[in-house]
Amino acid sequence: MATAANTTTPLGLSQPLSLGRRIVALIPGLLLLAAVGYAGKFIEQSIGTYTKSHHITFPNIEYVLWAIVIGLLISNTIGIPRVFEPGVATYEFWLKAGIVLLGSRFLLGDILHLGGISLLLIAFALTLSLTFMHILGRTFKLKPKLTSLLAVGSSICGVSAIIAAKPAIDADDEDASYAIAAILALGAISLFTFPLIGHSLHLSDKAYGLWAGLAVDNTAEATAAGALYSDAAGKVAVLAKTSRNALIGFIVLGYAIYWASRGQAQAVTNKAEFLWSKFPKFVLGFLLISLLATLSFFTKPQLTSIANLSRWAFLLTFAGVGLRTSFRSLGKQGWRPFAVGAIGEVFIALVTLGLVYGADRFLHL
Amino acid sequence: MSQPTAPRRGFSLDVYAVALALLLVLLVRLNVIPTVRW
Repeated sequence: MATAANTTTPLGLSQPLSLGRRIVALIPGLLLLAAVGYAGKFIEQSIGTYTKSHHITFPNIEYVLWAIVIGLLISNTIGIPRVFEPGVATYEFWLKAGIVLLGSRFLLGDILHLGGISLLLIAFALTLSLTFMHILGRTFKLKPKLTSLLAVGSSICGVSAIIAAKPAIDADDEDASYAIAAILALGAISLFTFPLIGHSLHLSDKAYGLWAGLAVDNTAEATAAGALYSDAAGKVAVLAKTSRNALIGFIVLGYAIYWASRGQAQAVTNKAEFLWSKFPKFVLGFLLISLLATLSFFTKPQLTSIANLSRWAFLLTFAGVGLRTSFRSLGKQGWRPFAVGAIGEVFIALVTLGLVYGADRFLHL
Repeated sequence: MSQPTAPRRGFSLDVYAVALALLLVLLVRLNVIPTVRW
């Protein structure tokens, strides 16, 4: 969460903001996230009520899409004033809190039910992404560390993975910005294309959710792409994406060791500590809540309340996805990293779609 | 667009998100907060 943590004194010296001031600085942006997210929910409900009362057949467009579109419109027309930025940047925080709370909707049995085939597909997609991105990076003559960042971002979990890998392999800020921009741009495109492809192929909720979880890189966009299809697909997308996220430490460790062996990054002294520092802790929170739900720790109304809290957290997340995507800054990043990202993502999306489609048809996921 | 952040000292964002989620779950479990509607 990027916050304006420093202020400048009249002498020009930088001093850290107090905790109270940092919290106050978040309020305008949080209110904007809530307003945009709620506007999306309001539009969905209003259209639903209107079409129902007038007996009009109209496909239900989820609040997720409205919230993202409103956010995109604001950020790419009037822009986000500085005062809102710290609060808007908290959208990843709400995503992680939302995923932990979402654990209440999964019994541990459901997670195991994701099945061996799905886990195999996740492992396959990960290996494929890493390999293909390196081949493309070499073909387009990208800098090797930029290629590593793109490969990590496309194989694991987008922005978080790139941020985790950047210090581990001593990559430049500029390379990380390129890789993040490419991953975010492609994530935004996938939000609009994945549901259309899924519906045209009549994919089941589970198959579509697995595909979105495998092929969309950033966790926020993967969650949104799943939720845009159906509630059930959204659940599977989060599960598949969370499984990928859990592997972040291993992949980043592999790259850190590789670059250290070439003398271009600091050596990793304590591997266990390194793995723990990179491990996404929200995965553990998700599993803990899921375990408690499995042990009937909550009553049914309590489970409903926790699931609804998760929805409210995601509402803030989806508003943030739109508000934080600026097409202008994405365009400034140059075409080559974007081309590598785009070709790689389209290839991975097509291969995983083929695999999921085949597995659903012949092996009944 | 998200920007890479400098390595932070102390707890990561994940830990705070998990802490908030667990606190909310506890409050729901103890019926301290009313039923949450969607």
